[in-house]
Amino acid sequence: MQRLKSWEGILLALFLMTFAGNVVLAPEFLTVQNQVNLFQLSIEKIIVALVMTLIILNAEIDLSVASVMGLSACAFGYMVTQGWPAGGAVVICLGVGLVAGLINAVLIARAGIPSLVVTLAMLIGFRGFARVLVKDQSMGNFPDWFTHLGQDPLVGPLPLALILFVVLLVGLGVLLHRTGFGRQIVVIGTNAEVARFSGLNVARVKTTLFVMSGFVSALAGLLYAARLGSVRGDAASGFELDIITMVLMGGVSIFGGKGTMPGVFLSILIILNLRNGMALTNITGHIQTGVIGILLIASVLIPNLASDLRARRAKAV
Amino acid sequence: MKLTKLGVAITMAAGLLGSTAMAEVIEAKPGQAVNMVLLPKFLGVAVFDQADRGAQEAAKELGNTGTYQYEGPTPENSAAGQIEMLTTATTQKQGVVMISNNAGDQIAPTAEAAQKAGTKVVTWDSPIPSGKGESLFVAQVDFGSIGTVMADMVYDEAGGKGEFAVLSASPDAANQNAWIDAMKKVLASDAKYKDLKLDDVVYGNDQSEESYNRALGLVDKYPNLKVIMAPTTVGIVAAAKAMQDEKLCDKVKVSGLGLPAEMVSYTMNGCAPEFALWSFVDLGYLTYYTSYMLATGSLKGEIGEEFKAGRMGTMKIDADPGRPGAKRVLMGPFTVYNKDNVEAAAK
Repeated sequence: MQRLKSWEGILLALFLMTFAGNVVLAPEFLTVQNQVNLFQLSIEKIIVALVMTLIILNAEIDLSVASVMGLSACAFGYMVTQGWPAGGAVVICLGVGLVAGLINAVLIARAGIPSLVVTLAMLIGFRGFARVLVKDQSMGNFPDWFTHLGQDPLVGPLPLALILFVVLLVGLGVLLHRTGFGRQIVVIGTNAEVARFSGLNVARVKTTLFVMSGFVSALAGLLYAARLGSVRGDAASGFELDIITMVLMGGVSIFGGKGTMPGVFLSILIILNLRNGMALTNITGHIQTGVIGILLIASVLIPNLASDLRARRAKAV
Repeated sequence: MKLTKLGVAITMAAGLLGSTAMAEVIEAKPGQAVNMVLLPKFLGVAVFDQADRGAQEAAKELGNTGTYQYEGPTPENSAAGQIEMLTTATTQKQGVVMISNNAGDQIAPTAEAAQKAGTKVVTWDSPIPSGKGESLFVAQVDFGSIGTVMADMVYDEAGGKGEFAVLSASPDAANQNAWIDAMKKVLASDAKYKDLKLDDVVYGNDQSEESYNRALGLVDKYPNLKVIMAPTTVGIVAAAKAMQDEKLCDKVKVSGLGLPAEMVSYTMNGCAPEFALWSFVDLGYLTYYTSYMLATGSLKGEIGEEFKAGRMGTMKIDADPGRPGAKRVLMGPFTVYNKDNVEAAAK
């Protein structure tokens, strides 16, 4: 617990430094439009990262999220191109997400196959299905109401996706830290065997999480399609790594059981602010990727080194 | 009566003035400050670096006291990266963003937002298909005529008949898509090409390895394939190398759009006997010149305006025949390279 507190302290300091640096170096940084753009340009990833936090805390992983996003976006493109009403297509795509999550859940929670294996297979499978639907094309011409929802402000300067992010952040934060279900997620993540012996329904918790992940990923895929106004087979491809990066940098242990929602939120803020600041000061492309890579390495190394050091000191005493 | 006469005279005078204004060749006003960004499809492609050189040459000539940046996304992040960079440029209140669009119409909402905020968007090399959010398109060649050139090169290399396939860039590349469509039209409209059969169009996404594999995939899938037409400088090199590595150059020829320096060995050894290209240095130069004049108000960006674009001579804004409602500045022409002229051009 101490480690977590101190980790979030480091994140907070890092965030404040990045934020202050941006304010000083980029005069355009504090404009409302830029603050909205900062979130909006990565909005689909950060929405999915919130659910990924719960899954990793539960000592599982979902590598199929980006493929579910792609599948949902491509299914939408396919149906609209076939002349189906877009409203119905939205509902079906969300259903596809639920089913995708359920398939993962059954294989992991009931059949007992490791989530790394199951979701890796589904990363390939769902993506393949998405590519079959749209082939090598780019599908667009969505109805105006749909692209407006993805591109234009809904309340004040806030677009729909950003509102959904805030709602999910608060909702999942409360679920994780203030409810019995949240405690179950963490207890199972710390030691599934012990949890099972103490009478927790491990399978039900895991099923709920993976279905939730499928649903939210499908929603994020639709938001992506609406924001860009068209889709292609590689929509959202590779996003899973960025999403997992955000969660791990937030101090969530890859072995489960440790981590908090505020930590992940801070990590998201740092990554988005760094990217935005570097872009505004004309540092782009490979250097941006490099800086964030170094940050991730540091975020994995520092806590480990720190605990090593403590262990050694404890031995010495 | 007098009034009417006067009215007529004024109308005539105005008409005269108007017509001289139309015919007048507009000159640039050097030495002004415009912040400009050249945004290629992505970084690490030789022809885009050449366009950067041309743009810098124009910047020097025009004595622009504003800033100039050449920046692009990484290849695997091209479409989303371009949208992000155009958004950032708008926030920075850049004067003009010159973009070789790789995001199809996905970039249109962002371009419209940029225009609204006062950042002009000029496309070059690859336009916004719908024309939405775009001030002008600086076209390297007439997109219709490139279709004829592609069809003719296939015709030559296939010996007038046989099967061929297209290896393109990305499915969202507006330029390649337009050229392939133009080529299909030419093939269908002239009996000369009736014995040519287009088997497939595949996409290597302008990645060397992906394009290489796609080329080999085509050969496996279509045993009677005679020509691979790759209208992209990355795809054509990859395809030629694939055929050379697999010792297939006697059977399958490669053609398309290529850079002489990258293609010279394949042209000389017969793997890619013929290909075409225009000067990307000139394209970058003309794009910068046009964008500068647009941003400084010398050009209004209206159809019919003629202007002097430095060493490129007099250029004209006209309607883009391929995209209703969109406007273009046509550069042209292109050069067809073969073993007679490729070595000189490669130097």
